[in-house]
Amino acid sequence: MHIIDRYAYSNAIRELDPAQKGGLALIAMLFCLALDHPAVGLLTLVWMFALATLWAQVPARAFGRALLAEAPFLLLSLVGVALSVSLAPLVSPALQLGPFWIGSSAESLALATRLFTRALGCAAALNFLILTTPLLDLIELLRRLRVPETLIDLMSLTYRAIFVLLESLQRMATAQDARLGYAGPWRALRSAGLLGSQLFLDAYRRSQRLQMALESRGLAGPLRVLPLDYRRDRRARWFGAALAASLLLAGAWR
Amino acid sequence: MTALLELEQLHYRFPGGAEPALRGASLRLEAGRRVALLGRNGAGKSTLLLHANGLLRPSSGQVRVAGEPLVYTRRGLLAARRQVGLVFQNPDDQLFSASVAQDISFGPLNLGLDVAEARRRVAEAAALCEVHDLLDRPTHALSGGQKLRVALAGVLAMAPRVILADEVTSGLDPWMRRQVFAIFNRLIAQGVTVLLATHDLSVARQWADLVAVMEAGQVVAVAPSAEVFRDAELRRLIGADE
Ligand SMILES: Nc1ncnc2c1ncn2[C@@H]1O[C@H](COP(=O)(O)OP(=O)(O)O)[C@@H](O)[C@H]1O
Ligand SMILES: [Mg+2]
Repeated sequence: MHIIDRYAYSNAIRELDPAQKGGLALIAMLFCLALDHPAVGLLTLVWMFALATLWAQVPARAFGRALLAEAPFLLLSLVGVALSVSLAPLVSPALQLGPFWIGSSAESLALATRLFTRALGCAAALNFLILTTPLLDLIELLRRLRVPETLIDLMSLTYRAIFVLLESLQRMATAQDARLGYAGPWRALRSAGLLGSQLFLDAYRRSQRLQMALESRGLAGPLRVLPLDYRRDRRARWFGAALAASLLLAGAWR
Repeated sequence: MTALLELEQLHYRFPGGAEPALRGASLRLEAGRRVALLGRNGAGKSTLLLHANGLLRPSSGQVRVAGEPLVYTRRGLLAARRQVGLVFQNPDDQLFSASVAQDISFGPLNLGLDVAEARRRVAEAAALCEVHDLLDRPTHALSGGQKLRVALAGVLAMAPRVILADEVTSGLDPWMRRQVFAIFNRLIAQGVTVLLATHDLSVARQWADLVAVMEAGQVVAVAPSAEVFRDAELRRLIGADE
């Protein structure tokens, strides 16, 4: 959370209109989903990595770490597709494990590869977006797209609340730790439970005070704020066109 | 001369509260004053400030803003809040937006100002509170003192004539405190009245020209600070004696 947030606020295209960044990610994801070809997914990964590191100046390590965090989920879902478990050797090659045969066919392997590269491309596109665009800007983008105001308010309040809660959490945990609250598994369990209920009370009281504070500034229905200012970059269009063209080519490749 | 803000004989008991929090509290503030509100914890300082802003409604008694009795309708409350601004003790309770600029713009837009005027107000308040270079920083990346100044800017952008600040200087280091008082003094020079609830006696002694003392839900004295510090009984109430 914190690490992604840090790059989102400090990268070289932070000021860029989120519609442009979101547009690029959207193109990438749509092509990944529409063109069912491993090369498309891989090329998307290359594109997104290049845009994030060269254009937005996000360190390659950060991009890699975000992708690595997602990789286990991708791989786990692949295992189910690539391997089949049965009581008889239906496919070859197959491996016997007690009464079970674990096997994999050429088709299922090909399917798994396509799924994996597709998911990889989509994940890379999303990573590009969240590493270069603060959530605040994404919410602002949704506001412009006329997503209902209640939803927008909820998202922005939640986003802000996360950090306030994280701070209380840290403070409380440190206070417990200082009084040896985490010495031994039982005490740790008890302390953690206590922490949870405290945190809930804390959030509840804060929401009441926040309500008062908003009212004192004239709260009237939806939270009205000024739109944010963004820079537009003409290169974004060229990138979009080149991205679309190259993905189409890759998809047509046999 | 009519007072900017008058609180007259306010009585209030919190729902479920055993004791009344206010028992006939009265206070009168004129333009351009610097007021310290003293009194031990639980004396009713915060409750009084919430009444001044129409956030709580007294069971009896009256709040008057610029001579007009406060009307507890949406419109009446907005009219009062345009004149009386409230800064809460913990800025994290007040800052609702992850964007500093958007947070400051909230009050002006609620006043019905157009976008251009709201932008102007944001810039002006941010300059006054010395947060203009923080406008596009995320709220959660600010220090405590910076958050307080942003919260203050959010209130000042509504251009109130009275600022009520609830113990806002308690957690600040000496440098930050000086910065906040410098902002207060600039406002006072423009004719704004600043009331600061505080436990800091040196603030009452050196900064305030008027000291109000609360005890058990009443304002027991409003006097120039020198007088308050001469009175043995008041000295005891504000904890000035050993
Ligand atoms: N939300 C609340 N619910 C019930 N009682 C409250 C609440 N807030 C304050 N009180 C009570 O009202 C009295 C005055 O409190 P407060 O105005 O916060 O005092 P001060 O700000 O001077 O410390 C205290 O007795 C306090 O316990
Ligand atoms: Mg208080």
